[in-house]
Amino acid sequence: MDFSFLTRYYTMYLTGARNTILLALFSVLLGVIFGIALALMRLSKNPILKGFAASYIEFVRGTPLLVQLYIIYYGLPQVTGMRFPDLFAGIIALTFNSAAYIAEIIRAGILSIDKGQMEAARSLGMPYNMAMKHIIIPQAFKNILPALGNEFIVVIKESAIVSIIGIYDIMRTANIVRGNTYRPFEPLIVAAIMYFIITFTLSNLMRMAERRLRTGD
Amino acid sequence: MIKVENLHKNFKELHVLKGIDEEVKKGEVVVVIGPSGSGKSTFLRCLNLLEEPTNGKILYNGTNIIDKKNDINKHREKMGMVFQQFNLFPHMTVLDNVTLSPKKIKNMKEKEAKGVAFELLNRIGLANKAESYPNQLSGGQKQRIAIARALAMSPEVMLFDEPTSALDPEMVGEVLDVMKKLAMDGMTMVVVTHEMGFAKEVGDRVLFMDEGKVIEEDIPCNIFKRPQHARTKDFIGKVLHAY
Repeated sequence: MDFSFLTRYYTMYLTGARNTILLALFSVLLGVIFGIALALMRLSKNPILKGFAASYIEFVRGTPLLVQLYIIYYGLPQVTGMRFPDLFAGIIALTFNSAAYIAEIIRAGILSIDKGQMEAARSLGMPYNMAMKHIIIPQAFKNILPALGNEFIVVIKESAIVSIIGIYDIMRTANIVRGNTYRPFEPLIVAAIMYFIITFTLSNLMRMAERRLRTGD
Repeated sequence: MIKVENLHKNFKELHVLKGIDEEVKKGEVVVVIGPSGSGKSTFLRCLNLLEEPTNGKILYNGTNIIDKKNDINKHREKMGMVFQQFNLFPHMTVLDNVTLSPKKIKNMKEKEAKGVAFELLNRIGLANKAESYPNQLSGGQKQRIAIARALAMSPEVMLFDEPTSALDPEMVGEVLDVMKKLAMDGMTMVVVTHEMGFAKEVGDRVLFMDEGKVIEEDIPCNIFKRPQHARTKDFIGKVLHAY
């Protein structure tokens, strides 16, 4: 095995890593925000909101990410008449995708909280939204942190697929280096190690966050 | 203060409350007893609309709280509730449990809310637990905190839904003591309980419920010594025998 190409290409890999992290970070953050909204919609009594959230989640879970990515990448400019940067299309696609999974995780978390908690909050005079914000969601988050961490890692790994629309992430860097150096194998090993460093760091961070949130138990 | 007119509650096919007419006066301690499944808890939970009545009226100082035009949250602020399962917020310290709703709902300043909280915690003898989390406390302590949490909103009425039923026997006394003090301070209370001793000693009036109706009501000594109705006699006989 020969990794000497790294001396020439390591800056490209670092740029790729930066883009992968940016992509995953924004997708996960936005995914959580939309995920909470979708989960609350799905739990609401309004049949329209509920129906929309349920069909959205089913659609996203039932179609390949690659298809969703192409729909956004080619469809969005056509529908809006605007050109978006590739990175933007990638973030949108990953966000829409992960929001559906995160919504289901959050919904399960909210349902796992004893209904006495909501009753106690409401009996003190808190409106529904306030009770959700201060009582239910903080407890739900604590319970779903492991599942959420898992989803974050999935997003980082799945983000490799956006290299296909030309975003310079780790995966695309590996492919370019493979083409330039005629070495099919080693550039991929480097990519794999970089992905692993990112996900392993994240899973350790999540474990620390879990420990801190467990103080009350 | 609270007037209930022809209150009905159905859970699907099940007819739980079959027409209840009651009135609770200011400062009165009303104790509701009866066999399980008689609708006592449902009746209590209807009073602050944790259960939505199927039919009837609940007038609180003259306003019908079932009417959708009236803000139920405002109404609930005036009505504290204590649950069988305590339902303290496990992710918050005792102090935060007590200060949360005054701060968020009444926009009370941190300092003022803390003042109110410590006064209440002192009254129940648990000021030293302010920084503890609920699961570091015993059942009796949890329930006393739950009472303090409800009182922090300065309610006009307190509803108790079997407050001692989930407690170990040796902890029942400390909770009943807090409730007794509260009653002596003139708080209007509606208490669903199996503690006949408490009903006798503290109750101004006892309601005996069975199969969704108030079968009999009277001052405690009459209910316990001279029950009129056959079902009341049967029930009182069984529970007093168990003592």
